[in-house]
Amino acid sequence: MNAFSQALSIARKDLAIELRTKESLNSAGAFAVVILLLFSFAFDLSPEETKDISGGLLWLCFSFAGALVFNRGFAREMPNECLDALLSSPLSAASLVIGKAITSALLLLVVEAISFFVYGIFYDTNWLKQPWSLLAVCVFATWGICVIGSVFGALTINLRLRELMLPVIIYPLLIPLLIASIEMTNLFLTNQAFNFMWLRVLLVFDIVFTCLAVALAEIILVN
Amino acid sequence: MDTRNLTFMFYGFLAAWAIILIYVGTLVRRGSKLKRELEDVKRLLSAKESTPPRL
Amino acid sequence: MRDKLTYVLLAAGALFFFFNLHGIFDVLPDEAAQGAIYRIMYLHIPAGITCLTGFFIGMIFSIGYLTTGKLAFDAASASINEVALVFAFMNVVTGSIWARIIWGIWWTWDPRLTAMFVCLLIYVGYLLLRQAIDEPTRRGRLSAAFSIFGTVDVVVVWKSIEWFRTQHPGPVLDVRTGGGHIDPAMQSMIFRDLFAFLLIAAALVLIRMKQEENAREIDALRRLAHA
Repeated sequence: MNAFSQALSIARKDLAIELRTKESLNSAGAFAVVILLLFSFAFDLSPEETKDISGGLLWLCFSFAGALVFNRGFAREMPNECLDALLSSPLSAASLVIGKAITSALLLLVVEAISFFVYGIFYDTNWLKQPWSLLAVCVFATWGICVIGSVFGALTINLRLRELMLPVIIYPLLIPLLIASIEMTNLFLTNQAFNFMWLRVLLVFDIVFTCLAVALAEIILVN
Repeated sequence: MDTRNLTFMFYGFLAAWAIILIYVGTLVRRGSKLKRELEDVKRLLSAKESTPPRL
Repeated sequence: MRDKLTYVLLAAGALFFFFNLHGIFDVLPDEAAQGAIYRIMYLHIPAGITCLTGFFIGMIFSIGYLTTGKLAFDAASASINEVALVFAFMNVVTGSIWARIIWGIWWTWDPRLTAMFVCLLIYVGYLLLRQAIDEPTRRGRLSAAFSIFGTVDVVVVWKSIEWFRTQHPGPVLDVRTGGGHIDPAMQSMIFRDLFAFLLIAAALVLIRMKQEENAREIDALRRLAHA
């Protein structure tokens, strides 16, 4: 079994568990909708102003909801020493981290789809002007968020104040990715031309941090 | 020397050195705390070694 | 021996910097548009170079710890990253004071300033992470991994003044531009201040490393006392 199929089998396992209980999906989805609701009360915006802040609003919402999703990633393995069992198995640590990232990314993409739908209603915006470009941004940015979330979820697994430490550590690292995705989302929601600079930032971020995650997974997870 | 904006230049130099001195202050405080802890632990250890074991 | 070296480095750095002050205030030419405020450059640029160099060397020691397992490498990495963080604060604060006069604002979210602020936050997170882990080998391993991730942003900060043309001035030093962007006497003073800051930083790192060693000794003795 190669590393990628190992990662896929971890992802399949986690998705099966998640689809049985839907606890991450429900809590993250509800949280995303609540944030969108709160922002709609917090700012009294004209349609033009809404278009300008859409990217920022959506990606803040997704990154906060994402924290709920990838927080559960490794925490799920703590009871009954499941994590020790996984690490003792022939699975590589890198495939464990990437598998968790795949699960988190798929769940977060579902949350994003729900959020776009709710956002379109609350803010009276047509977000389907460039659907394929928007989908591409969502996929690349979500992968970047989830790979960082997965690695640092593994890093903080046994820490005191884990739920507090994880956001404090990962959000500064995610800032370049979030800026790129916010800028590109704003472009596609306002039907403007593609900007290759931000796409480059997004892709380089994904490639660099995925490589670092694969390289350092063993060091982070194995005692 | 051109003295335009001299006040803010002074603030800049003051801020830079204040940051260094505050850090040196925290190092000194941390150092004394560690020294005290080290003496306490050494005292604890020597008290333990001088106490005969209870049978 | 190490204590003597620490005092010598600290004294040499401080004296060298105070000697440079004479050059900064009395000898160097004025800048045409900015007035006296431009002299903050002699703190801002050396502090920036010191902090980025420090973070990079901290990463190298982190890799050293991961490959050798020696806690001395972890102590060095933690000390260097902490001292570099202090110089990062100095860079941001002096830059902000300079910006207040030149740009009329204390801060702007242009890519260079944003990248530097992100770097600051990352290494504050690094120190928080170290505080949250009690076991020394685990602390060393996890903070080394984090330091490697953090260095990606250090590279972004270093290159950002070349990649992005915004409010913040572009590169001026000859090593980055090939020449002609700055008065040679001013550039020489920047490098002399950089040397002074590096001496001071080295002394602070040695003091901090000694404290890490003391903390390890206390841990070991405590374990012995409570065994």
